[in-house]
Amino acid sequence: MAAQKMETRQDYKYFLPLQSRWMDNDLYGHVNNVTYYSYFDTVVNYFLIEKGGLDIHKAPVIGVVVESHCNYMSSVAYPDLVQCGLRVGHLGNSSVRYEIGIFKNDDAEASAAGHFIHVFVERESNKPVAIPKPIRDAFETILAESGE
Amino acid sequence: MSEYLSWRRADFPFLTEIPTRWGDNDMLGHLNNVVYNRMIETVVVRFTMGPLEIEWQTAPCYPIVVESLCRFHRSLSFPETVTAGLRAGRLGGTSVTYEIALFGEDDEAPASTGHFVHVFVDRDEHRSMQIPPDIRERIERLGMKA
Repeated sequence: MAAQKMETRQDYKYFLPLQSRWMDNDLYGHVNNVTYYSYFDTVVNYFLIEKGGLDIHKAPVIGVVVESHCNYMSSVAYPDLVQCGLRVGHLGNSSVRYEIGIFKNDDAEASAAGHFIHVFVERESNKPVAIPKPIRDAFETILAESGE
Repeated sequence: MSEYLSWRRADFPFLTEIPTRWGDNDMLGHLNNVVYNRMIETVVVRFTMGPLEIEWQTAPCYPIVVESLCRFHRSLSFPETVTAGLRAGRLGGTSVTYEIALFGEDDEAPASTGHFVHVFVDRDEHRSMQIPPDIRERIERLGMKA
């Protein structure tokens, strides 16, 4: 495995605490690997709604996922509190790369880290369009210093 | 550039069918992205429990996931049955990277592709260890592209 860069809380600009649930644990007694992707799409969409004003029911432009990725460093288990850290790693014209860190309770280092790429499309035609201004403005507030 | 778009069913030595459920679709009318990742996990688990004959709950050496990736090329939706294909892409000393593709019912090209990396660890210490010879032999015989 390529050595994974250590991710700490300072690397992220926005946090959403999530209460893990009983069903998140699998047979091994910790949060199942796929469940992390549910944490990812929960924090991303919550940010879009809270900071970008996205109306998930009526917005004419929506984000569709084109790629998701996760590295698992250590385990999280119910009933831990899951702190989801979010930043924007790359902001394009119609696409955005979110980078997400999953932190267990008060841990300084991430238990898992990954990314999630949205392309914004017209809901009706499914054609890529420029990221709407209020959402782009919100992204600029959580842009990583490196930009990528 | 996008070599994985040319992956076809025939490129995969292990194929399995996965049904979809009503609740797999999200409010946009297709499978939620998390469900694609669940299908990727499912084909890996079926391969390890079937051809690799790994006893998840008792084997002294068993695999854990350290990395996963999913690319979304086209949407899948309930009620279609998805065919998942798996092959071993890279076989290292302690890890194996599976390459995976998901095909919709009428798809020639994959709707989704990705990979899933397993590291073998010992049950007591959770330290990585060499893939046992019998499992390695089965990966090479049953998981590699013919």
